[in-house]
Amino acid sequence: MSRPPILHGDPRPLLEINDLVTAFHTPAGRVPAVDGVTLSIGRGRTLGLVGESGCGKSVTAMSILGLVAAPGRIESGSILLRDTAGAAIDLATLPEPRLREVRGGRIGMIFQEPMTSLNPVFTIGDQIAEAVRLHRDVSRAEARARALEMLALVRMADPRRRLDEYPHQLSGGMRQRVVIAMALACEPDLVIADEPTTALDVTIQAQILDLLADLRRRLGTAILLITHDLGVVAETCDDVAVMYAGRIVEQAPAEELFARPRHPYTIGLLAARPERAAAAARGRAGGRLRTIPGMVPAPQDFPSGCRFHPRCAYARLPECAARPPELVAAAAGHLVRCGYAEALGPPRDVATPDREAS
Amino acid sequence: MHGMNGGPSRGFWAEAWGRFRRKPLAMAAVAYVGLLVAVAVLAPAIAGTKPVLCRYKGRLYAPCLGYFDRRLEPTVFARDRFRGTYPANLREKDPESWAIWPLVFQDPYRAVRADEWPGRPANPAKDEGRPSRVNLFGTDQYGVDVFAKMVHGTTIALLVGVVSMGLAGTIGIVVGAVGGYCGGWVDMLTSRITEVVMCVPTLVLILAVIAIVDKPTIWKTMAIIGATGWTGIARLTRGEFLRLRQAEFVTAARAAGAGPVRIMLRHILPNALAPVLVPITFGIASAILTESALSFLGFGPPPPAASWGAILNDARSNLAMWWLVLFPGLAIFLTVLAYNLIGEGLQEVTDPRLREARK
Repeated sequence: MSRPPILHGDPRPLLEINDLVTAFHTPAGRVPAVDGVTLSIGRGRTLGLVGESGCGKSVTAMSILGLVAAPGRIESGSILLRDTAGAAIDLATLPEPRLREVRGGRIGMIFQEPMTSLNPVFTIGDQIAEAVRLHRDVSRAEARARALEMLALVRMADPRRRLDEYPHQLSGGMRQRVVIAMALACEPDLVIADEPTTALDVTIQAQILDLLADLRRRLGTAILLITHDLGVVAETCDDVAVMYAGRIVEQAPAEELFARPRHPYTIGLLAARPERAAAAARGRAGGRLRTIPGMVPAPQDFPSGCRFHPRCAYARLPECAARPPELVAAAAGHLVRCGYAEALGPPRDVATPDREAS
Repeated sequence: MHGMNGGPSRGFWAEAWGRFRRKPLAMAAVAYVGLLVAVAVLAPAIAGTKPVLCRYKGRLYAPCLGYFDRRLEPTVFARDRFRGTYPANLREKDPESWAIWPLVFQDPYRAVRADEWPGRPANPAKDEGRPSRVNLFGTDQYGVDVFAKMVHGTTIALLVGVVSMGLAGTIGIVVGAVGGYCGGWVDMLTSRITEVVMCVPTLVLILAVIAIVDKPTIWKTMAIIGATGWTGIARLTRGEFLRLRQAEFVTAARAAGAGPVRIMLRHILPNALAPVLVPITFGIASAILTESALSFLGFGPPPPAASWGAILNDARSNLAMWWLVLFPGLAIFLTVLAYNLIGEGLQEVTDPRLREARK
């Protein structure tokens, strides 16, 4: 099976987000949680969206589905979803009834907390069958048969019995399988997985990621994987977009990004991985976990110019504080939002990727 | 992996019932209400002067149905001038006839006369009518049997609670659900309406309406109790919806493409129902009290409908007749207590916090 062409060689990505702005209008003022996000996902590809808590990853995901809760709303930008014929619809302006067809139908969603994302009063079978019946005109029996099929597909042990069980009877990992089955029940083109393994313990995490990768291969579903875990990204993603303070600061194919990170924030993130500290400790005594000083600024007090400059080890003042950098191609398919990315040269010390070839 | 070795799947309600069953007081209360339902349905077979079933001039009749609705009483007996007295007339007008009689030969609407039942004297009237073997709970000042009145009044006591709270529950859940789910100005509006209705004194409103309408019936009383008694239910439902609309499984349902009505009815309501059932149960108890109070004040359903409260009203002018106070008072007390015990039991088995506290 030939792998799909890499993202930026593909002229017609499945999902294309252009300059998306999603802001919350609170009594304290306008809070732009997503402020000019541009990214694209190719058909059948896995894009990892990485960033610290509060940088706008989840709001981006909710914007795609049109589920931003009041007082938030999409203010500008477009979210184009293409079908196989190439016709695009703009999810940012689509009316609610049409959006409902897209949700669960063409875009599935997997949530972070499998403990709470299933309805406690209905059986597993009922919930998957409902997801099917919301988008397909099938009988109850057919929907139930489909639910059983889906449980088998997500490798649930003894699926026939699980069908009539309630969420509280399942473990976290099994529940997440059910959530994945629901998200995939209508064979969507894209699945958004918002930190799908954060709430699970490590062995289960690996199983779920394996399952997602396997399902993507078999069904050809594109995946937008939202995470703050770079290890997860290295294992599963074709492409990576790094988000900081409501903006994409770097997007590149995964191997490229891990080998040659360009943005100081990405460089910092890679250096802050515990694996690196462990590797450093093996090399010489006293390897320490590196951190990026400071915290992600809250949307209402984003700094001027480059939003990362107060925390940036390479920042050149006053230029960095004066003018916000554009997202530009630093190499083929490698976008960076840093005015001095070229001048940084090959970053020291973090240049060697410790990523197994996938 | 738990659940692997567990028994058959059990839903929330099955689990709750399993816990409820282990509460002796609550179960006794359920049994008592079940008994009341049986008494209400079988009232004409328990106490009455019309045969449950009889054969008359070659045909079978069930004249006792006349107690539910006069139109159900076969017309043949009116044509043959029975005038409501069956035993003697049946014997006289068709010697071949036979009849199955109610357990207690007493009428809730009139005093039984002498020799109406072979060899039995007329019902005593005034303060002579103390409880006896013939009149189990005694008679009122006109000689009407109190036991028969109470048996036939059971229907009203039950209906008042169920009908008025059915109405209140429907209004309350709809108003609370819409307000809590939609939020914003809709919530503002429904909350203000709820508060306004909350300020309306039910008893006074009922008295006012009774003064205005020409034919006060028990149904109008129930409608008013229902139309004013939904505020607590609405507030509770609103709170539950406010809480649950933030739940991740609701967002998940939305992300799966479910619309607002579907989310409210299928995803939120079943999760909100348990805490809402509790005030509905307590509401039934208070509706019964309200109706009794109205009847006691003399504004209850007009005769011949005999409610328990109306018997208490009779006692007001005949204080020496203690049995007019004791039996209906006890019945009202026990029924209200039973509903309160059921409500409390429901609360304990469905509220996880209370459940933990008991362990």
